[in-house]
Parts: sequence; C-alpha cells; structure tokens
Amino acid sequence: MNTNTQISAADREAVTAAEVTTIIGLEVHVQLQTKSKLFCGCSTLFGQEPNTQTCPVCTGMPGSLPVLNKQALKLSIKTGLALNCEIAKHTKWDRKNYFYPDLPKGYQISQLDQPICGVGYLDISDSDGAFEPKRVEIERAHLEEDAGKSSHDESGRGGKSKIDLNRTGTPLLEIVTRPDMRSAAEAKAFLQSLKMILTYIEVSDCNMQEGSLRCDGNINLHINVGGQKIATPIVEIKNMNSFRAAERALDYEVKRQLAEWKETGGTIEGAPKRTFGWDDQAEVTIAQREKEEAADYRYFPDPDLIAVVTTDEQIDAIREEIGTLPSRLRNDLVREHQLSEYDANVLVNQGRGVVDYFLSVAKTCDNSKLAINWVNQEVLRHLNETNSAIDQYPIGSDGMGDLLKRITDGDLDQTRGKDVLSAMMEDSIDAAAAIEKLGIRQVDSSELDSLCQQLLDANPKVVAQVQEGKVKALGALVGQARKINPNVNPGTLQANLRKMLGVDG
Amino acid sequence: MSNAIDRKTALHVGKLARLELTDAQADASAKHLASILSYVDQLAEVEVPEDIEPFFGATESVNAVRDDEVRPSMDRETILRNAPDSDGEFYRVPPVFG
Amino acid sequence: MASSIECLLSLVNQNKMEISKLSASQIVSHIAAGELTATDCTQHFLNEIERKDPTLNSYLHVAKESAIETAQQIDARRSAGESLGALAGLPVAVKDGICTKGIRTTAASKMLENFVPPFDATIVQKLTDADAIVIGKTNLDEFAMGSSTENSAFGATKNPWNTDCVPGGSSGGSAACVGADLAPVSIGSDTGGSIRQPAAFCGVTGLKPTYGRVSRFGLIAFASSLDQIGPFTRTAQDAALTMNVIGGHCERDSTSAREDLPDFSSKLDQSLSGVRIGICKEHFESGLPDDIRKSMDESISVLKSLGATTVEISLPHSKYGIAAYYVIASSEASGNLARYDGVRYTMRFEADNLNKMYGLTRTEGFGDEVRRRIMLGTYALSSGYYDAYYVKASKVRRLIKNDYTKAFESCDVILGPTAPSTAFKFGEHTTDPLTMYLADIFTVTANLAGLPGISIPCGFSDGMPIGLQLQGKSFDEATLLQIAHQFQQQTDWHSRRPQA
Repeated sequence: MNTNTQISAADREAVTAAEVTTIIGLEVHVQLQTKSKLFCGCSTLFGQEPNTQTCPVCTGMPGSLPVLNKQALKLSIKTGLALNCEIAKHTKWDRKNYFYPDLPKGYQISQLDQPICGVGYLDISDSDGAFEPKRVEIERAHLEEDAGKSSHDESGRGGKSKIDLNRTGTPLLEIVTRPDMRSAAEAKAFLQSLKMILTYIEVSDCNMQEGSLRCDGNINLHINVGGQKIATPIVEIKNMNSFRAAERALDYEVKRQLAEWKETGGTIEGAPKRTFGWDDQAEVTIAQREKEEAADYRYFPDPDLIAVVTTDEQIDAIREEIGTLPSRLRNDLVREHQLSEYDANVLVNQGRGVVDYFLSVAKTCDNSKLAINWVNQEVLRHLNETNSAIDQYPIGSDGMGDLLKRITDGDLDQTRGKDVLSAMMEDSIDAAAAIEKLGIRQVDSSELDSLCQQLLDANPKVVAQVQEGKVKALGALVGQARKINPNVNPGTLQANLRKMLGVDG
Repeated sequence: MSNAIDRKTALHVGKLARLELTDAQADASAKHLASILSYVDQLAEVEVPEDIEPFFGATESVNAVRDDEVRPSMDRETILRNAPDSDGEFYRVPPVFG
Repeated sequence: MASSIECLLSLVNQNKMEISKLSASQIVSHIAAGELTATDCTQHFLNEIERKDPTLNSYLHVAKESAIETAQQIDARRSAGESLGALAGLPVAVKDGICTKGIRTTAASKMLENFVPPFDATIVQKLTDADAIVIGKTNLDEFAMGSSTENSAFGATKNPWNTDCVPGGSSGGSAACVGADLAPVSIGSDTGGSIRQPAAFCGVTGLKPTYGRVSRFGLIAFASSLDQIGPFTRTAQDAALTMNVIGGHCERDSTSAREDLPDFSSKLDQSLSGVRIGICKEHFESGLPDDIRKSMDESISVLKSLGATTVEISLPHSKYGIAAYYVIASSEASGNLARYDGVRYTMRFEADNLNKMYGLTRTEGFGDEVRRRIMLGTYALSSGYYDAYYVKASKVRRLIKNDYTKAFESCDVILGPTAPSTAFKFGEHTTDPLTMYLADIFTVTANLAGLPGISIPCGFSDGMPIGLQLQGKSFDEATLLQIAHQFQQQTDWHSRRPQA
C-alpha cells in the first residue's frame, strides 16, 4: 500500500461505496462438549452455583498439574476434518502469559506453533443471492482452556469485582479464518454454516447465549482513490453475541471506518490494531480502553505437558464418525430423495436429528414427497410451537412412517391422516389404534355409489356445471360427502362422481 | 545479544511481571539483569549444528491423556478457604480501574 | 520399685541412644519386629528437634500432634496384627515446597505464609500409604530458588557441622535435619542441584532421580522441566528403601514416566566388578580445591579396589550448563509464579485497583532472589529476546544431553565432586548472586538432561563434609545406589556425626 501521497480531504470525501472493499476475518471460540474440563475432572455443566465446579488443578493451586482430556482432542480433530483442515500428527502445548483474576495460573494453556488443526476451508453461499458462493479459508484451529468469569461493579462506585472459576478450564477450540470475507452478510453466513457443521458433528452445542460459541471479528477497509490503494487501520470487534449482532456490528464498523477515514485520513501504517466492543443496545461499536502496555504474551512450551502424537489410523477412525456433512446432505436429499432445494434446505437447517427422522420416515412409507411434507409441516410446526427438539417429539419415526404408509397405500387420505396423527399424539397410541378409535374404515363400492347418487341428486347446479365442462366444480361436493361419511376418500369419491357423470379423464 | 539494561527496561519487564518497582528497585534490578545477562551471553558463542532441535522438556515421551470422566469437584468452602477475600460464593478483587 | 524405674529409664535412654544411630532401614525393621514402637521413635525425633532445632532452624513446621497420633495408630494396628506398609512407623520430614493436606505449606515464601493445601502431594500420599509418619516440614530457599537457604522468608537454616556455614540449598532444611539426626529420612526437590549440593554440604546421602521417576504432583513448581523430588538419607540403602515407596508412575503428572519401577534395593549387594566409572575431565579443571580433588582421588581408589574400572570422558558443553540453566529455569519460573497474584491463596496487599494490588502483592510477597529470577525469566521470554535466550538455551540443553548420551557409551556412571567447594559461610555469596549460582556448576547438567544423580559423603575439609557425585543413565538409579552402597560398606564418611 502506498500512502506516501497525502490524499486531500476533498478527494476522501468524494470516495463512494463502489471504491471500498471490506476485509473481514473471524476468530471463533467454540466450547467443545466434553463432560469434564480440558485438564481436570471437574464438570463442564453450565449455570451451576459459582465456584462449585473447581478443584486444585483448575484454580491453579500450587503443586497442581494438568492432564489432557483425550475427548477434547478427538472433538478438535473431528472439527478439523469437517472443516477440511490438515490435522497435526504432532501437537504440543504452550503457555500464553497474562494476568487477569479469572485466569488462575497467570497463563492460559493454548497452542502456538503446532495447532491441532492446520489450513482448511468452509464454502459459504446465500440462498437469496446476497453474495456469490465462495470459499473462506481457515488458517488454523487450536485447542485451549477457557478462562473464568469476572463480574464487575457497574455502579461506577468502584466496588469489587467477583470471580467465578466454574468455566475455567473448559475446552475451547479457537477457529481462525483468513481475511476472506467481503461483507457482514458473508461473515454471518460463515458463522451460520460453521454452527450447522459443528452441531451436526456433535462437537459443540454452539449455544451463543451460554457462550458456547463466541466470535470476534477483525475488520478494515481497502479503499481505491484514483488508483491509489489505501487500507484503514484494523479493528478487532468483540462481544458479538449473536449472528445478528455480528452482522450489525460489522456493518456498523464499515460505515464508522469509512467516516473516520474521511474525517482523519488515518491509514493502517503505524496504527496498532485497536479493540472495539459491540453495544447491542446502542447499536454502535465502542473503542475499548487502551492497555498501557502492548500485549506481550511471552509464549513458551508448557513444561507440565507432553506432546500428543496422532496416527493416521486414529484420524481415519474419527473421520468415520463424522457422517455426512450438511452441504453433502442437501445434495443427497435433492438427488436421492427428489426433494426441492428449498425443502432440503429447510430440513437440513433443522439439524441432524430431524434429517435422520425424515430419512427413517421416508424409508418406512416409501414416499419421500409425502414424508418431507409431513416432516417440514406437521412435525416442525409442533417443534416450533412447543420449542422442543426432535427427540422429544411424541411420535417416533416408525410410528410416523406407519401412518404415512397407510396414506401412500390409499387407506387414508391426508386430511383423515391428520386426524389420526392428532389421536396418536393425544392418546399415545399407534396409527392402527387411532384409526380404530376414530372408526375409520374403508367405504365399499355400493356404499360409495349410493353416496354419489345422493350428492348428485341434491346438487343439480354442480351437475350442470360439470356437464358444461367445469369438472373442477366437483370439488365442492367433497365437503358435503365428508359430512355424510367422514371415511370417504376424496380422490375415490371424485373419480366415482366423474364416472357416473360420464366425464372420465 | 544483550542490549543496555536500564531503569526503563527494568520497569517495563516489571510491568509485564506485575512487579511494582520503585526507581531504586528498578535500578538494582537493571544492574542485576545486566550482570546475569552478560554471563548468559556466553550462550551466543555456542555453535549449534543445524539439525539440533531445542530440548524443551526433560522428557520426550508423548501422549499422556485421561478419559473424559467427571470427578467430584472440591467443595466451595474448601476451595475458598485460602482466599484473601471472598464472600463465600465468589473470590473478590479490586476493580480493574479503581 | 526404685530399681525397676531406674531399669526402665536406662532402657529408655538406651533406646534413645540407639535410635539416633539407627538407619531408616533398621528403624523400620525394629518397629516391624516389635523392638521399637513407632510412638517412641517419633517422640525421640520430636525431642531431638525441640533440643537442637531452635539453633538449626531446619524445620518450618513440626507436626507434633499429628505425628504422635499417627504413630500411636500404627502401633495399635501392629498390636492388632494388621499388616503394615513398607515404611511403617518411620518419621519422614518433607520439604515445605511439597503440599501436605491440612498442613501449612509455604515454600518458605511470605506469599504463601497462610496456605493450607486441601490435598496431598502424590509422594506424601505414597509415604502415608506406606505408613511413614510426616514429622514436619523443612526449610528451603524461597520457592526453591537458591543454594544456601538464605533466601527463606523465615530465616536461614544452619549447617549442623558448623552453624556459621550454610547447609546448602535449596533443600537445606531437609539436608540439615538428616545431618543433625532430626529425622532419619527427609524429602527434598532438586532443580539444579537442590538435593545433591545440600547433601554434600551436610554430609548425608541425597538422590535426585531421573526426571519423571517420582511424581511432581503436589510439588510447588519452580521450573517444571527440571524439578524432581528425591530423598535425603544416612545411607544409600535407606535411599533405595525410600525410592521403592515414592517412585512410580502417577496419572496426575503428565511428565511422569511410565517405566516399570524396579526394586531399588535388589542390586545393592552386587559387586562393582566390571562397572565402568567415567571421570569427567571438565570436573577436575583448575579451581577445584585441593582437599576436594584429594577426596575424589581417594574415592576413585576405593571404587577401583572394589572392582570398578575408570575411563576418562568429556562433557564439552557442560561449561554452558549454568548459563542455559538460568535462562530456562527462570523462564519457566516466571510463568509458574504468575499464579501468586493475591486472588486465590496468597497474601494480598490491598489496593484500590487491580494492577496496583497485583504489583504490590507480588513485590511484597516475593523475596529479592525470587523477584530477580522472575525479572530474568520475563525478560528472556519477552518479545524480541525469546529466540536469543530461551530457544538458544534449549538448544544448548540438547547439546548437553547429547554429550551425556555419548559419554554413557563408554561408561556406566560419571563420577566427580558434587560442588566446587564445601559449605560456605553465611553472606559469602549474597552480594553477588552470580557467584552463588556457580555453586550448582556440577549438578545443573543432570537436571538439564533429566538424568539421575546421587551425592554421598566422601571426606572432610576443615571439618566440613565433601560430597561425591555419581550421575547415571536415564532410569538407572539402581546402579548409582549400588555403587554408593558398596562405597559405604568400605568407608565410614556417611556414619560421621557432627558434635551435638
């Protein structure tokens, strides 16, 4: 970047959005869902009483020593594989030294030069076409221990801060991207896609409210001023606690940086990275108080831990456990189950459990189209209304498959099917029992004939319309028929009516 | 290898290590640092062959891991007992910016 | 009546006399045989501590009540016919840098003046599982940083041979208490010579095992990659007995070795015929006092007479040992000691903001030498200096390790003086810390390479003990103990006692 030439305020003012490229890289901290902490046996449960999940190791007591939780390493490798990363055969632990009261040892055990996951990528796209599909490169992902929680006195009276060390030592995977994103929308799509993958492979619940997924963004602008390229100072934005917050914070920061540059002309040269926080209420990014000293973390290899060597066999075994990832799954659903892109997307976005439920239902009823309609409508509506997960849905995939099989076979129409489903849920019974309970039975042909005759006799206007060629008018008779006999199948009924009126086909 | 160690350097290192040094302490510290570093600088004269990797730990065995099993935590009263300031639930510390 | 009391008293006195002369192995067998009770034995040492320790200051804390209580339980269990552990009834003193559950553990620092660990170090657990009795906590240089115990926040320990002299350090209290018969066995830790050098200064046997042989869990870290726990005893045989209990893999220490634990006593009686002793020429270069050189020569003659052969070897990079050691140990220490911040278990110097509290607590809580080393280590790791200091020192460390590997191709152990002098006077090295650092010149290299070393008494100079150091191959403590034991069968340096 050549900034030797001063750009005048007037030239800066004249710059338009078209000449500005946004550069965004993300650092995402993901809590891995292990039962115990990274280096000790304390539970990782969220929301417990303060300081009830600690021990000499995670409070850094003199004499205590860390021992690595192998599940955390495995989940890291699994994540790396899902993100197409190189997996380190040899990985080691380093100490990152800094003082803070929620960091008991005065250093964080992390990985500096041999992260467990090396270079990888994640492809992102937007269904509404907000940006072209693109590949975001992952620079690395390393395993480290989380710090505890400090709560500060917000009254301004300088009261003491309170420290809770329950979270201290929870395994965190820090995923660092290259600065490949060009808009807040891309950053948001990256985060959504990442979350989907991580929940699919069951390495994290990615619950942002509970801090299981935390995101910082590094952002600046490249500005083209009459062929001269200018870069604004890099800002790290913290405290983006939801995908929406991330998008809005980054969007805001783009505007702020452009305005700042127009005002001051300040560029990246000689400007240290600054840290801003996102204020979700005020909807602004705010510069955080500068530290007196530039950070010097004095990393060095942790002598309390030894290296970890992973074999190809171990990596392959973990790869086996990953199963099909969301993007592949979408394609499979479209290709093998003839789902629409839209339906496949809705389904996959619900997570692995719903997809598996669908697959099982579709297999049992041998009717993917029926299965997707029922899962995406009946099942998802219930889950939304009750705010519950698929494994809490009262009808198992076998029961649902059985019900839909009856519809596929013509034993039930869809409307009656829904009655059956309600009865199944209400009384916790299977489809057969529900059908029995509702008194649903097949209507035989003589019964059907006499019903049709009765309808035609009572609706001369409809008969006339049909004879004029408006066959669709028969639809009006379905409702009447069902009032007389709720078991009648609308399709069969209409076919029979057409036959009797001689308008077959 | 060693640069001039003065009061300013000592104060900077002290800050990194969270040691609050008076000017007199910083001067004494600078003097000691300079003295030990001038001794340690003999390391610079050691010719290290290219293929020599640093030996960081006294053991080069690998893979000490444990299963992901929850063990009982220590009760809070015991954990907090040694703390200079706690309210029975939290450790308490002075505010960051007092 | 009167005569029977006299008889009893004389028996008690006789017992008392005997206990002081007994080795740990003898105490254990007497107690096992019912010839001595754990309670009498413990009481004897408690009495001796009360009599002599006000002068020596080898203990920071004497666990009178719990020791007697445990001793009585052991006696009761023995009477009831229960089977007891390998060290049943043996009083053991433990360096105060090692955590003892419910017993204040200070690392001789004002910082930890009131720290009571809620857990036992693995070795303490192993000792108590073997029915040994923790009799007290011994003095040290603050956080094990020093070679004289002059850096203890609670006053220096004196050398039992001459109270004007230091006992060595950092495990000076552990060495002095065995040297003065205030404990039959004590436990210390050795980061750069902190077991071997004080053992030499106090005329006792001190073993630094191979790195990873003894669990570090519960040892308050000075420099994690160098620290190793080991015993102080009267004899090599007692060291073997103790090692059989404290050694072995520990799942709470990731650096703990997964090697099988041998019976360290099994080789003691084997002949030295065929044993090759390496004489490191660098250890005998100019500057070594004549008395020490003479003792070495005499000791070599003794070992040759026992069938050993000698071969000259070289450790060419050992002269850089101290420089590499101070960079590495101080760097690790700067990290290990960051946890002492006034929040969770240390003293606190109150202040109105966090950084002020940190700064004042750490400046007030740490002594001069600890602060010096934190400064050095912080500097060596800081941006711009890491490669030149920490990485370079770690490469030199590799060269030193390789020197040993090469040397051990032609010998089984390496013999030399433990220290370049006998115990020095208080204050002799306090003005220039660098001269104090050089007291570890012959011992630091074993820590850098992770190898075992033992110091045994081998003579006197001006009434002060001289130590002979044997360094061995990785996990070959048994050979060190064998040679030391055979030497002690031919000499009586280890049986000499200072004037009470």
